[in-house]
Amino acid sequence: MIDWAWAADHLDELLERVVQHAFFAGLAVGIGFVITLGLAIWAARRPVVRAPIVSISGILYTIPSVALFTALVPVTGLAIQTAVIPLILYTFLIFLRNMLAGLDGVAPDVLEAADAMGYGRWQRLLRVELPLALPLIVGGVRLATVSTIGLVTVSGILGDRFGGLGFFIFEGYRRSFPTEIAFGALPTIFLAIAADVLLQRIQRRLTPWAPRTMRPIDPGRGTVVGSAA
Amino acid sequence: MSSAESVVFEHVTKRYPGTGKGNPGAVEDLSLEVPAGKVCVLVGPSGCGKTTSLKMVNRLIEPTSGRILIGGTDVLQRDVIELRRGIGYVIQQVGLFPHQTVADNVATVPLLLGWDRARRRARAAELLALVGLEPARYADRFPSALSGGERQRVGVARALAADPPVLLMDEPFGAVDPIVRERLQNELLRLQERLAKTILFVTHDIDEAIKMGDLVAVLQVGGRLAQFGTPDEILANPASDFVARFVGADRGLKRLALVRVGDLELQRAATARAGDDVEEARKRAAGDPFPYLLLVDGDDRPIGWLDDRRLQGLGALSEDDAESESPLFDRHTTLKDALSMLLEAGVQAGIVVNEKGAVEGLVTVEMILELTRARASETMIEPGP
Amino acid sequence: MNLVTDTVAWLLDPANWGGNQGIGMRLFEHIAFSGISIAVAIAFAVPVGIWIGHTGRYASLGFNLANLGRALPSLAIIGLVLPVTAAIDPQLGFKVYPTLVAMVVLAVPPILVNTQAGVAGVDRDLVEAARAMGLTEGQIVRRVELPLAVAPILAGLRSASVQVIATATLGAFFGGGGLGRFLVEGIAQRDDGKTFGGVVLVAALALAAEAAFVVLQRLIRSPGALRMETSRAATSAA
Repeated sequence: MIDWAWAADHLDELLERVVQHAFFAGLAVGIGFVITLGLAIWAARRPVVRAPIVSISGILYTIPSVALFTALVPVTGLAIQTAVIPLILYTFLIFLRNMLAGLDGVAPDVLEAADAMGYGRWQRLLRVELPLALPLIVGGVRLATVSTIGLVTVSGILGDRFGGLGFFIFEGYRRSFPTEIAFGALPTIFLAIAADVLLQRIQRRLTPWAPRTMRPIDPGRGTVVGSAA
Repeated sequence: MSSAESVVFEHVTKRYPGTGKGNPGAVEDLSLEVPAGKVCVLVGPSGCGKTTSLKMVNRLIEPTSGRILIGGTDVLQRDVIELRRGIGYVIQQVGLFPHQTVADNVATVPLLLGWDRARRRARAAELLALVGLEPARYADRFPSALSGGERQRVGVARALAADPPVLLMDEPFGAVDPIVRERLQNELLRLQERLAKTILFVTHDIDEAIKMGDLVAVLQVGGRLAQFGTPDEILANPASDFVARFVGADRGLKRLALVRVGDLELQRAATARAGDDVEEARKRAAGDPFPYLLLVDGDDRPIGWLDDRRLQGLGALSEDDAESESPLFDRHTTLKDALSMLLEAGVQAGIVVNEKGAVEGLVTVEMILELTRARASETMIEPGP
Repeated sequence: MNLVTDTVAWLLDPANWGGNQGIGMRLFEHIAFSGISIAVAIAFAVPVGIWIGHTGRYASLGFNLANLGRALPSLAIIGLVLPVTAAIDPQLGFKVYPTLVAMVVLAVPPILVNTQAGVAGVDRDLVEAARAMGLTEGQIVRRVELPLAVAPILAGLRSASVQVIATATLGAFFGGGGLGRFLVEGIAQRDDGKTFGGVVLVAALALAAEAAFVVLQRLIRSPGALRMETSRAATSAA
């Protein structure tokens, strides 16, 4: 059923697609992280903007990825941003919920102690609040990375220049060639799991003081209802 | 060690928007003066504004009107960040930073003040030793690995890090169990003997207030100062029904906690050693107000009481003749504890010993009751409960 | 502005609404596929979730399954199922089944995890009190745990529906039906009105489903704060 010879012939192409896949995912997670961190800090300090920011991220998260990729084509053409912008938008809700939960979770007595010892506003944020939110923030990065790696494949609907490993799935389907489908699907899963394990290691390294049981908030698992949604 | 500074409240009022007088946390026209180096306890029922008053000192809460002076300078005139770095702050929940080691927690303010790493490390070790935590064992632990009492000690060390002249403590021992609380209170008192900081201490527990305070400010709901004075003044002459009720019907007993065995003129103990002649020793005891013989060893350490009836006809004393024992006190034992121990043991007198365990004298139930009677008559003319 | 007018024109053209391949039919397919997948997922995930939550056995298995589900991209599932179903049924195997299987597979983890967490999150004192009053284990589940776990279960259904509707759209690129067909055809025919009309319809359906769940959750949550509490506990556990 598997055509090993074909697979062996296409290892170069596989490597190229893995690189593209990782590049798209890394770019989206990186940009998404920076934007959301700013938004989360803003929302944590200005309760007025919090609800709208969370709601808009929630709505974006709800729109099926196929629709969002397609919707951008008339606007941005078939350029790299057509694939990356939706990927960025999908990271918003995951990042935002975890960052806000992390910042909200800092105990009031810790904040009071920090104020009383003479931390300035930004010093307190950088030295106390963000470090304490780190387990959930890094947990959010894990979820967003794994989820984005999956979504990169869907960008293959935009054409052969997109999709990372998803390209093989679409082309394999068009050619009714199961080997090529598996050639895209299995490495995608492997990539997602590898990223998850790697980030989990980094998380433990970064936050040796945090309890292991702390779970990040995953909007894709029905955790949306927990907060002020 | 920097010198302590006085803390003065001048007509300080805090009202919360949309609420009138008598609201929880509000403070009404509070004036009091805490001399440098003294412990002032703010005590009162919940909602009496004691915590609000405390937090106005380091401006976690800003007063509506009035002035608070530290060392003669109005706190509102000072830069808030700089002000706070110069005031130690200890709270019930401690508020240790969970992501930092014990040493880093202790060195928080030194870090903010820009001390270098080696100096911070050394200071943290010094302070941990001061609060009774072995630096080598504790410095690199995270707060999650500490017990409640250990956390509170780290909290005190952190507050002392930059050697602030003023220390604010908000129910610092409220969350630990009674045995640990007792120990932490004693340690703080011992620490204060060495450091002589100006300490403002908030509690709702009148016993803690009496024990810890050089001065006690009793606040009542609505944030009004009901009475301000030494613990003894407040127990002896409650200024109002409210204060009398708040200090409790057992204030006579509570006053006993303010007097220590060492403050009394001790009664002489008639002692005898093994080998002494019985009849000669009996004669020595016969003239005393407490006419019993105490058998002691070669270093004057008590062994036990001798029963006079059994002694008759014996030649020389031996250690086996000691019949019964008494509670042992030292000069720091409070009269309240002493009385309680005497009643517990069902005996008339306790033996006061020095650091080496040698007999110094006796305290009798009669002496304690005598003192209570004398003090009660002092307060007769005052409005009581 | 061409795009907007084209899209509006396409959406308003009655000719596009009727017929076997019209909007009405595609909408029905989309909802039907999604509904069937969720129903199948519920039939499996809710009993298993209740059992794990009630007994506390294999609790980490549920959470690990959910994590695994996250690492399985929908496209990869479709891709991996396709060769298998195609071998069984060369006709439909390349069309409907792979997407349906993917939809069910993706709907199970959120429902399972939330049911499990919801049941396990019910105050253990309450369960003990019920047991002390002589309720059987079955009665405890039916009368105490399940009613209190409704909110988290609903939250699980809500996320499952988001996933399922999105995956159904993707399925159109693999020969499936539903609203995604308009995207596939619009792109192929370079008909921007149709493509964008499809995008609008897909987004509207997803948001409508989401809104329906929000309303449902409000209705169920309103009777008492107790349920809110349990849903909080469950969600933080998940």
